[in-house]
Amino acid sequence: MNLSGILVVAKPDRREQVVAELNALDGVEVHQVDADLGRIVAVQEAADIHAEIEGVKRIKALPGVVMAEMVYHYIAEDERSYEALPAELQDDKEGFDSCVVPAYLNS
Amino acid sequence: MGLSRRDFLKTSVAGATAATVGMSMSEQVEAAVKASEAGWQWDKSVCRFCGTGCGIMVATKDGRIVATKGDPDAPVNKGLNCVKGYFNGKINYGQDRLTQPLLRMTNGKFDKKGKFTPISWEQALDILEEKMRWAMKEKGPHGISIFGSGQYTIHEGYAAAKLMKAGFRSNNIDPNARHCMASAVAAFMRTFGIDEPPGNYDDIEHTDTAVLWGANMAEMHPILWSRITNRRLTHKPMKVVNLSVYGNMSSDIADLEIIFSPSGDLAIQNYIAREIVKRDVLDWDFVRKHTIFATGVTDIGYGFRPANAEKFHTAAEMEIVKNEQSHVIDKWEAIAQRRKEGEVVAQKNIGTPVRHWHISFDDFKAALEPYTLDFVAEVAKGDPDESIEDFKAKLQQLADMYCDRKRKIVSYWTMGFNQHQRGTWVNEQCYMNHLMTGRMSKPGDGAFSLTGQPSACGTAREVGTFAHRLPADMVVDIKKHRDLTEKLWKLPANTINPKVGSHFVKIMRDLEDGQILFNWVQVNNPWQNTANANHWIKAAREMNNFIVVSDAYPGVSAKVADLVLPAAMINEKWGAYGNAERRTQVWRQQIKPPGQARGDLWMMLELAKRFKLKDVWGEQPMPGLKAEGFPDGKLPSVLDEAVKMGYSPESTLYEVLFATPENKKVKWPDRIAKGRGNHIAELLGDGWFPEKALFEEYRQFGMGKAHDLAPFDVYHDDKVRGLRWPVVQKGGKWVETKWRFNEQYDPYVKKGEGFNFYGDFAKAIPTGNLDGVTDPKPVPLAGKAKIFFWPYVSPVEKPDANYDLWLCTGRVLEHWHSGTMTRRVPELHRAVPSAVCWIHPKDAEAKGLKRNDLVWVESRRGKVKVRLETGGRNRMPRGMVYVPWFDEGVLINKVTLDATCPISKETDFKKCSVKIYKA
Repeated sequence: MNLSGILVVAKPDRREQVVAELNALDGVEVHQVDADLGRIVAVQEAADIHAEIEGVKRIKALPGVVMAEMVYHYIAEDERSYEALPAELQDDKEGFDSCVVPAYLNS
Repeated sequence: MGLSRRDFLKTSVAGATAATVGMSMSEQVEAAVKASEAGWQWDKSVCRFCGTGCGIMVATKDGRIVATKGDPDAPVNKGLNCVKGYFNGKINYGQDRLTQPLLRMTNGKFDKKGKFTPISWEQALDILEEKMRWAMKEKGPHGISIFGSGQYTIHEGYAAAKLMKAGFRSNNIDPNARHCMASAVAAFMRTFGIDEPPGNYDDIEHTDTAVLWGANMAEMHPILWSRITNRRLTHKPMKVVNLSVYGNMSSDIADLEIIFSPSGDLAIQNYIAREIVKRDVLDWDFVRKHTIFATGVTDIGYGFRPANAEKFHTAAEMEIVKNEQSHVIDKWEAIAQRRKEGEVVAQKNIGTPVRHWHISFDDFKAALEPYTLDFVAEVAKGDPDESIEDFKAKLQQLADMYCDRKRKIVSYWTMGFNQHQRGTWVNEQCYMNHLMTGRMSKPGDGAFSLTGQPSACGTAREVGTFAHRLPADMVVDIKKHRDLTEKLWKLPANTINPKVGSHFVKIMRDLEDGQILFNWVQVNNPWQNTANANHWIKAAREMNNFIVVSDAYPGVSAKVADLVLPAAMINEKWGAYGNAERRTQVWRQQIKPPGQARGDLWMMLELAKRFKLKDVWGEQPMPGLKAEGFPDGKLPSVLDEAVKMGYSPESTLYEVLFATPENKKVKWPDRIAKGRGNHIAELLGDGWFPEKALFEEYRQFGMGKAHDLAPFDVYHDDKVRGLRWPVVQKGGKWVETKWRFNEQYDPYVKKGEGFNFYGDFAKAIPTGNLDGVTDPKPVPLAGKAKIFFWPYVSPVEKPDANYDLWLCTGRVLEHWHSGTMTRRVPELHRAVPSAVCWIHPKDAEAKGLKRNDLVWVESRRGKVKVRLETGGRNRMPRGMVYVPWFDEGVLINKVTLDATCPISKETDFKKCSVKIYKA
């Protein structure tokens, strides 16, 4: 899975329509809109980087879009579900008690 | 966690994007953010992980880090963070954080076979002092050692180097950076006479080509990769080439992916050079004015034990280790080195691998002659399923790029080059092709060594925490350098030991053969990060020695230690790091260390209080020392001279080296702290500001020597986001240097010179030809860089009928180094909970194995159990497997080979041979 943060600039009068079109695209979510400047932050999910680049082209081709550029790019190709965390990592415990000697140090 | 991982990531991506483009947040989000940020105090800091050096903003509330974000004002990352960077604030809060000193004890007394028992700091310092005194009494100053780090703050590294080299007169301090970029250092020094890259990250936005040589930037340097991706998408001519021994995430956006065989890079570089010469596309004006041609000795071994190896190695290991004495030339080496297949070559220069000399261009050209496309394609093709014709076409495309003088090129590399049995050579080959075409020290044109640690450059290299180094590129075995250091440190003449200490792997070997009796690990995890680990684990646990490990979390090294000291982490202490583009960056203490944890600097200063000059500056045995002005085998007493300088034999190392009258003038508290604390200054309680005082003292070394740094307070200015050295004052302002050696940018190059490679190390060499020296008289080559020829050499251990696969090791995106920090962040741990062994599906099938099977990976040295992965982010060619090293449960360094580059002494973690079978 690849996630990209895309800056989209829409013509001011087409902004709402562009937001709706973006949300309708497969794998795309609009997260933030700057009404004054017509700037939109969209997050796109894609299978790989080629799909990601194609996806940006697809956004550029939308009517009303002045500009669309991939600003942030996150790749997490190997995501799958994993077993539960080991006990020592499960709780985000507040504060620090006096040191407990980890069991495996003495194993 | 209310959000799913995916939603969480998407929110992060959106936030990063908005921050980067300077977008204000929606009113709702802003209101929510404001409400949630009430009472937060933001301050600038630096990422704890890789060498990129991203700026991080840290928010604290009620003494706790509550948030971090990419710093939009940081020129390196412009507000972005990679997935590890997002979680900087969480690394301090793992549940098994060490918060008390622990000593192995039985019945209330130290016992090497005892159980870890909590003790007080007073008791910890007592045993630390006692064991150091014992080791020095038995073996002299080289009976003690420190494993230092490329993650030391600049202050910590400086204090450690000074304590060892000036105080204990021992050069046995060497950082884990030895495993990381020692080859890059050696090549910088030998090529340019001075360390570290001429260019900087801005090259990305100026170039037409990024060529990755053994650097999977997409995973290991994601923020720089996002800048390359951006360039690729916005600059039409931009091409990306990924040279690697397996397909990886960096290939995804590459225009050209070249999968080569282990050590095939040596041949490919020579093919490119041969094409540059054949097509006569050299930048002759640049070459004539600014370079010379050179080569050197090649029978230099593989960095194994030089003698008595059979005492320590098994018969199986000796099959490989015996090459240190003599090596049988294989069919490729015969062509590449103009020798005969089967010829036995005695490795005569294992003691002097650095020897090199000037050669003529005609000799250089003749040396390249064997590296034809046909030959190089045969040697270097790494994927057995690729046709030789396809591979040749790719090599030609690559050569075409380097031969197109209008095309700007930056070559990037990290561990693929550096962790290499000929790591220094392959770095130098890269400069060869850049220098021949004049692509050096110009915006968008350069050869850039990336680093893996946050202060490999700033501390390990610039401060000089290596066994041979002193600050500002100076070394212990040159008298002029010792004299200058002794002057700046106010030491009697001949205090500093001229005998180079043991490098990282040799410290392990010295522990194994009982030459070193005391070791202190600071800010790294040597028993996980050193190849052939079974030997070193046994040495630590079974020899009569004392191992101290300062760490924040209990890793493998803590497990083998005798004394564990709880260390403060980033943001719990004042610090400074220097990144890969020469940028020095700083942070303030934001929170207090937990429990009894303390900064490494405090530990060293407290130890220094316990040693007096009379303990360490009298005559000391130094077996093997032979240096002008020194008696053989001894360090002379410098106590009389010390008294003349106003010291007393009763003065402590703390008073003489650290809390000096000058340093004590630098007072704590200081307004630069803006109300924040300093647990070290407060615990010392004697009114000085150690980090600031030591930084100002350290600065003196670089001033006027092209290593200039700005004053401490300048870096702490709210508007400053690090500065790239040399930083010189112009018109009252501190100005950084973007491209070194180039008159347009570098204040050390005079107008009219164009370029000047002014480094002064190894700048007078003999003259010779491809067979050796013909005139030993050193010829000066001031201002010039060297274009080296080096031949192809096969890896010392190659797959055979029994051990039939190559093993390559490295990192994954989510984890950093030995995982002691990133595995404490639940999100990162969950993303990649354990190491896997990537393998080609056909290799797995041929062995009757499938994905997820538990297998043994076994070499001549050891074996580990791991699960197989046939898909995912890495695409292995048949014949090679990849296992990352972050997972202590899959301690892959039990399997790897401790061969090093004989020049840099950096281990090759990228190639050895293994077999795989069902567990």
